Amino acid sequence: MTEEKNIERVFDNVPGSGAAYSLIDFIAGWARKYSIWPIHFVTGCCSPEFMQVSGSRFDMERLGILPFASVRQCDCIMVVGVVSRKMALRVKYLYDQMGEPKYVVAVGACPTGKGPFYDSYAVVAVDEYVPVDIYIPGCPPRPEAIIHGMMLLQEKIKKERRIGVKD
Amino acid sequence: MKEPMIEPDVMRISWGPQHPMSGQTRILLDVDGEKVHRIIADLGFTHRGIEKILENRSFFSGIIPVDRMAMVDTANMSIGYVTAIEKAADMEVPERAKWIRTLICEMSRINSHLYAFGLQAESTGYFPAVFLWTTVDREVLLDLFEELTGARWSFNHFFPGGVHHDFPDGFADKVLKGVKYLRDRFKDYWDAMVENPLFENRCDGVAILKPSDALRLGATGPTLRGSGIDIDMRRDEPYNVYDELEWQVITEDACDVMARTKVRFHEIGQALDIMEQVALKIPEGPVKGRVNAFMRVPEGECISRVEAGRGELGFHLFTDGTGNPYRVKINSPTLRNMYVFERLAELNEVYIADIPVIINSIDPWYLDSDR
Amino acid sequence: MSKISAADFVKAFQEAHPDAVKSMESTSPKRADLVVEYDDFIDAAESLRDDFGFTMPVSGGAVDYPDDDRIQMIYYLMHPEARFMLTYRVDLDRGDPRLPSLTQVWEAMSFHEREANEMFGIEFEGHPNMIPLLLPPDWKGGHPLLKDFKGEGQQ
Repeated sequence: MTEEKNIERVFDNVPGSGAAYSLIDFIAGWARKYSIWPIHFVTGCCSPEFMQVSGSRFDMERLGILPFASVRQCDCIMVVGVVSRKMALRVKYLYDQMGEPKYVVAVGACPTGKGPFYDSYAVVAVDEYVPVDIYIPGCPPRPEAIIHGMMLLQEKIKKERRIGVKD
Repeated sequence: MKEPMIEPDVMRISWGPQHPMSGQTRILLDVDGEKVHRIIADLGFTHRGIEKILENRSFFSGIIPVDRMAMVDTANMSIGYVTAIEKAADMEVPERAKWIRTLICEMSRINSHLYAFGLQAESTGYFPAVFLWTTVDREVLLDLFEELTGARWSFNHFFPGGVHHDFPDGFADKVLKGVKYLRDRFKDYWDAMVENPLFENRCDGVAILKPSDALRLGATGPTLRGSGIDIDMRRDEPYNVYDELEWQVITEDACDVMARTKVRFHEIGQALDIMEQVALKIPEGPVKGRVNAFMRVPEGECISRVEAGRGELGFHLFTDGTGNPYRVKINSPTLRNMYVFERLAELNEVYIADIPVIINSIDPWYLDSDR
Repeated sequence: MSKISAADFVKAFQEAHPDAVKSMESTSPKRADLVVEYDDFIDAAESLRDDFGFTMPVSGGAVDYPDDDRIQMIYYLMHPEARFMLTYRVDLDRGDPRLPSLTQVWEAMSFHEREANEMFGIEFEGHPNMIPLLLPPDWKGGHPLLKDFKGEGQQ
């Protein structure tokens, strides 16, 4: 994505286009941050907490976060729970299939840094396979913590000066 | 002109780990049109090597990974390990601690069965509302857990020799209120699912597992009791205080998906009865015996078998006189039931639309089959 | 053979197969342990299933004893009427552990033998489908549950 910073836009040489483009980026960023669709994919034991967050009491959908089944139409992959070696390959396949701009949220202590299974031969930290944007610690993290993490992701999207270019 | 013969054309579908309904596993289905010829389960996506890391942990801190073997049902996982250590070390547990353990284990069982209903309702395709009901009803139990232990899901409340915390003030009344609320919701679930002709049409007569096959293939838990065989570790090898309370082992004779669902329904009813009896009759006393965080267990072996929500969970503990176990062998219920699931396509005519309904009647939780 | 107690079963089995039994005891009313000789492994298992009524397979696993230079393979069986558990054990040579597969007697032992193969390196002769169960298919790190497994495997 770093090449995108330097790609010329169509009207770049027209005077006043900078202001127009930054207004467009602002509106697009506002729309994008309130409709982050993660892939409906759980990898480990934090999955019941993910289900409670999308349930009725701590409703994630009021922030626009809808777990969706089709990979090409999602913006975010939430790696929820322990990632074993077999599963890490699938996380990489899914990350490659998603369209840009895309984000990765590591939910729980295990994808962050192996969690309670720190000395296991079969567990990996997910940032050896995909680049992670937000880490949410906890074992399992409380639903309020997961929602706080997603709100941090929304702020990160809001701060992007051009669509999809992460600084 | 003779019509060309259409050869049966078998296609392998990979129902993989990224799917709203599959769980953390990959199931390969060999289908010919709508009929499923063969089911192959590809396990191991959540393999964490728990048996190996338990050899590296002391007995107290080994309870932490064991709890995470099944997050919806954690008390029943750790009670197995703790009971094995107590038998091997010949430790006494105070009476009040056993009653508290019974209460928490039954609350975990309700948690696990509600999860199974939610998934089963969602897999029949038109009850995502029931799935959302279960998320709200589980919150009642999770709030009770949080008040007693401090955590919602994996609370590590048991240790060899007792439990960590006693009841706070007024906790028994809150338990009774929670039981009353869940009993009223129980009627709603019965009307929405079991008495509903739509649900009956999907589930009656599907995937029949005869009693002789269930024994021969190693089924366990509600999968076995839905075929009429009454094997339940809470009655056959009593632990906690199950032999002092009044409850029954639930079996159904129809052997199909609806029978297994009904077994889980009635087990929730029995668990609510047990919770009520514990809240009313619990004796006074201490809750911790002699606490020794660096305990050593003399050399020997011990097998403990408990009844988790999914079936019989066994821990075979080998000790060698040091502070760590020598080997822990975990007998997982889901691994046994997945073998039964693979053979169901050979025993019955299974269509591809029935597969989600069948697999959620077996109720697998792949984190305990992969350990 | 219904409602037989564990102690009576131990006596009856020792009378029926005196040469096959290496050691046998019943440590409590609900447990019985049987270590059988390697050559009589399949015959004793068939006798357990047909004559003594152990029709319920529960599980199977192994234990590594590097000091004694052996690996002990344990199968867990249950009697559905008498409700006690039998651990059926056999000792294998640690350098080259191989065993005839018990799927010819109880087919549900299939998954457990696959796991013992990848975790300990035991070869099961006659197993219908020996592919890795839990480890990734391209695992090259060795056998994890052996006592001299050092560190993580690399793929």
